[in-house]
Amino acid sequence: MGLAIEAVNLVKRYRTKKRLGLFKSVTEVVEALKGVSFSVRYGEVVGLLGPNGAGKTTTIKILATLLIPDGGEARVAGYDVVEEADKVRKNIGLMLTVEKGFYGKLTGRENLEYFAALYGMDRDVARERIDYLIKLLELDKLGADTKLYEEFSLGMKARLSLARALLTDAPILLLDEPTLGLDPPSARKIRELVKDLAHRDGKAVLYTTHNMFEAELVCDRIIMINKGRIVAEGTPAELKERIPKLKVLNIAVRGNQGNLKDILNSIDSKFEVDSGEADVHNIKVYLKKPEEVLDELLKKFIGRGFEVVSIKIEEPTLEDVFIYFSGGST
Amino acid sequence: MSMLDLVRVEFKLVYGDLFRRKSAFITFILYPYIFTSFTLFIGYAVGSPRGFVERVGVDPVVYMITASYMLMSIFSSIDDLLWRPLLDLHIGTLPYIIASPVNRLKYYTAIPIPRLVAVLLLGFTSILPVYILYYGLEGVAVVFVVISILIVGCLTMVFFSIALAMSIHRVGESWRMLNIVRPVLMILMGVYYPRMFMPLASYILSSFIPSSHAVEAVQRFLMGMSSDIYILIVLAIAISFIYMPIGKISIREWEKSRVRRGVETF
Ligand SMILES: Nc1ncnc2c1ncn2[C@@H]1O[C@H](COP(=O)(O)OP(=O)(O)OP(=O)(O)O)[C@@H](O)[C@H]1O
Ligand SMILES: [Mg+2]
Repeated sequence: MGLAIEAVNLVKRYRTKKRLGLFKSVTEVVEALKGVSFSVRYGEVVGLLGPNGAGKTTTIKILATLLIPDGGEARVAGYDVVEEADKVRKNIGLMLTVEKGFYGKLTGRENLEYFAALYGMDRDVARERIDYLIKLLELDKLGADTKLYEEFSLGMKARLSLARALLTDAPILLLDEPTLGLDPPSARKIRELVKDLAHRDGKAVLYTTHNMFEAELVCDRIIMINKGRIVAEGTPAELKERIPKLKVLNIAVRGNQGNLKDILNSIDSKFEVDSGEADVHNIKVYLKKPEEVLDELLKKFIGRGFEVVSIKIEEPTLEDVFIYFSGGST
Repeated sequence: MSMLDLVRVEFKLVYGDLFRRKSAFITFILYPYIFTSFTLFIGYAVGSPRGFVERVGVDPVVYMITASYMLMSIFSSIDDLLWRPLLDLHIGTLPYIIASPVNRLKYYTAIPIPRLVAVLLLGFTSILPVYILYYGLEGVAVVFVVISILIVGCLTMVFFSIALAMSIHRVGESWRMLNIVRPVLMILMGVYYPRMFMPLASYILSSFIPSSHAVEAVQRFLMGMSSDIYILIVLAIAISFIYMPIGKISIREWEKSRVRRGVETF
């Protein structure tokens, strides 16, 4: 069996017109994907992990035939997402948002029946499958099979959305932040199910999240994406091996920017400077043992006439991990 | 994938909407009466009912309730198609529809059918009582003829509406366009302003709208000019099929334009 998903050098630029006046407008270009390549095999859950605006949804949409890339190509189930969209559509189960995407005046079951017809399922097959999915996702326990969708809680909506993605038993699942905003029990239910679907049923799952903890729990492999670029890739264990050794030293100093670079370049670590108002510079330095250089660093700052405003040593947040893997910025 | 299944689930959707929302249901029943009283009120203010009978040959009350009923029947099924893409975009169902392998022409053809059935049944609460009042028991037969012609009138609008809706929705903020297009369509369809009395230009323009011929057929029938009715019905059906390939193409082009921009999921 070939690869389930194969993306090669995907590029996407969004163009939006910004009105300046009645006749004037400028076109703004957002480069959402800047050459993203990865693949997903059958039987594995691959996490696309990244902060807001990283390009996760954009990637999912391209693979789901809902968006045409400006460059590169992608194959899903062996079919080209642009040229053979029809065939791709028969092979994917899709979940885009947890909180929307159904008809309010229909019950959970009726909504599933609606989409089953749209997906061309035979009526009897559909009924059996819907019964099965309602039990699987415990929608019946929540009363979601007979309640109107507009009366659903977020957890019920998310479960129904996953049920729809599973309707046709498609071999490839594209799930965009499937646990966003859910309470722990609902989130756990969905995570466990997703793992089963890959490991037991051999489905290929692409799972986006901005939550490091979640990616670790669900994914066999994690692709870190930031600002449209893949910044790191590996199993959770591989990635973790690199991350926990680092700590973040946050220093805020006040003084002349010119001397700052010299001082920071003298320590052999990645750093980031965010210059705020009134000559205050917020500096982040990524270090294995910040304690060892702290004393020396402070002396240098003070020696060059900087005033130290605050100091903090922190465990890296996800954002820090991204900045680190993105190569830092100066 | 069967068309029947698509129609069946559309039925649930429309009836869910209609019967689970009481206010929608009540306005649905009352609408023809409200419209009739409104137009009669204005009509009586500017002219005499006798003048109307002399010119048109039908009692204004009968004429107007029929007109309102026709307008409502034809428009509620057209409206389903005109507004549906916007609704789906708004509630987030559109991406799932586009990412589905459903046959688009079948899908969009199925959409107006349930409401069409509902509206035709409405004939029994709107025109039937009035006809019986004016024509006695013979009114029942008249109702069946009018509804039968209207079924043709509504069905022949399906491909036309698909083509119209999808062409309009390629433009940004298409709901503004809809608000212009709908009234124009209403006038050209000739329900209030009979086509026979239209100036030549609008007469020709209106003949491109399939249902306008069905509307004319109903009006002629009420006026007792039954001879040309068959020709009008055949004409309506023939013209509607011109719009089938156009509808197909416009769905495809509309989807293409959406996918190029990216189907919104907000
Ligand atoms: N339709 C659009 N028009 C213009 N810009 C867009 C559009 N959709 C996304 N973008 C921009 O493209 C970039 C990537 O967006 P995308 O939705 O793929 O990110 P994401 O990783 O899914 O983020 P989030 O965690 O917020 O969902 C962002 O900068 C976003 O503002
Ligand atoms: Mg997103």
